[in-house]
Amino acid sequence: MHQRPFKQIDVFSDRPGFGNPVAVVLDAEGLSDSDMRRFAAWTNLSETTFLLPATEAGRAAGADYRLRIFSPNGELPFAGHPTLGTCHAWLQAGNTPRQQGMVIQECALGLVRIAQADGTLAFAAPPLKRSAPSPALVPLIASALGLRPPQILGAQLLDNGPVWLGLLLDSADTVLGLRPDHARLKDLGQDVGVIHVGPTASDTAQPGVVVRAFAAPMGNPEDPVTGTLNASLAEWLIADGLAPRSYLVAQGECLGRAGRVHIRQDDDHQIWVGGRAVTCIEGTVLL
Amino acid sequence: MQQRPFQQVDVFTAQAYRGNPLAVVLDGTGLSTETMQEFTNWTNLSEATFLLPPTPEGRAAGADYRVRIFCPGRELPFAGHPTLGSCHAWLQAGGKPQVAGKVVQECGVGLVTLRQDGDRLAFAAPALIKSGPLAEDDVALIARGLGVDRSDILHHAWCDNGPNWRGVMLRSAEQVLALKPDASILGQLDVGVVGPRGKVGVIGSTDAEGIAFEVRAFFPGNNGLAEDPVTGSLNAALAQWLIGVGLAPTQYVAAQGTCLGRAGRVLVEQDGDTIWVGGSSVTCVSGEVLL
Repeated sequence: MHQRPFKQIDVFSDRPGFGNPVAVVLDAEGLSDSDMRRFAAWTNLSETTFLLPATEAGRAAGADYRLRIFSPNGELPFAGHPTLGTCHAWLQAGNTPRQQGMVIQECALGLVRIAQADGTLAFAAPPLKRSAPSPALVPLIASALGLRPPQILGAQLLDNGPVWLGLLLDSADTVLGLRPDHARLKDLGQDVGVIHVGPTASDTAQPGVVVRAFAAPMGNPEDPVTGTLNASLAEWLIADGLAPRSYLVAQGECLGRAGRVHIRQDDDHQIWVGGRAVTCIEGTVLL
Repeated sequence: MQQRPFQQVDVFTAQAYRGNPLAVVLDGTGLSTETMQEFTNWTNLSEATFLLPPTPEGRAAGADYRVRIFCPGRELPFAGHPTLGSCHAWLQAGGKPQVAGKVVQECGVGLVTLRQDGDRLAFAAPALIKSGPLAEDDVALIARGLGVDRSDILHHAWCDNGPNWRGVMLRSAEQVLALKPDASILGQLDVGVVGPRGKVGVIGSTDAEGIAFEVRAFFPGNNGLAEDPVTGSLNAALAQWLIGVGLAPTQYVAAQGTCLGRAGRVLVEQDGDTIWVGGSSVTCVSGEVLL
């Protein structure tokens, strides 16, 4: 056990304490899987990450570093806010990517591109599988959320690693007014993301879209700001013409956070999910 | 906003990551209550604390430092593991008590004295607000909620010293470790469970490691029933109950957190009218926080 460089980063916010935190161990060489699992359970954050040199294969394919991501329940192949937070920590520690403006992260999912621009970092949304939810599921979820059928404008089962039931709702007030029965959602075993796209969503100067993420089955009744959910919601809604090609999301308001997620589809139809990050805790960890 | 010294401390263990974590901002001067609360919520830990110089009255009465203790959603007048962890961080950062071996903490309940014994710290158990046996209906409900037979609950008592613990003693540590409690039955109850690790029926007997009891703490969390890794207040109240009625010796070690992969060790010692509750702490993260 020795002192290793450590940072706790707030992601999707530039105000410390108003985004979603991730704990980053900047040099995880020599730690066992059980060391990582134990530390991630102890931080009690939704995610803790461990930075490692890229594998030989990863490096040959362009990777700048390798990342392992753990929730308190175990290792994850990929996650959005930990990816951005760790990239911020890696850059802040004085590293530079091999390709200017583009960091390549190696993780269990494979290689993930992270674009650097104007003080924000954005990850390339992973491929999405989506399908219509079973007709029996939506009314059960709606009732656990306290929604009436006319308030739901669209529903889609979204799978880009984590599986979310996405619900497009009729107004920002509906989204922000929800008081879900988390115990029932937990019993139903389905994580749910709700979104409203406002009439001025294409103006990205102000957030025109609101999102909330309910994940009691994953152990987290409401997640403050959620990278992968925003990625899959954007893939669905942009493809179906239900949202503009770029927009700014507000998430976390009901938890006292002020998360901001920047969504952008590029000319190759790749969706990028980005935001700011700020280092809140900096020092060493005994591991 | 500025950089402030920060530690994240593991409490009730000498082995890093086997206890109960605590975030400690070592200089909370100038922070608003709102900022302290927001930072606590952000850490996602059961408690975060903020060290301050004692108030003039506190200093006159002997306080070495003042601490404000927050859990998600509210400020607490006192709590056990945050007291031990804050005092450890204060000493680690170079704090020197006015009286060697004795640290006086000023907090919401007033002055709390901590005893220093090598690398271990102990606080004096606060007086019980409510004691005596539980209502039989409660005992039956707890038995069902824990999934044990009513006859497996050998003894029971109120263990309310602020947190409203209901304490039950089962036949053995094995039985305590095997519990799979049902949140829908226990509902809003805070339940502390204890079972002997030593020879059943022999007061003061221990296992090979010298541990007398296995403890578990269940409470309603924000996602159903939650289990606390290592709990100062519960162990303090259990000690007062068990020593008081002769079910425990005047000095013992309890284990907690085993089912969560932790190895919390709580040292209990009666000295005159005072019961001391203590343990070791380890600083796991140290650095600065932007607040």
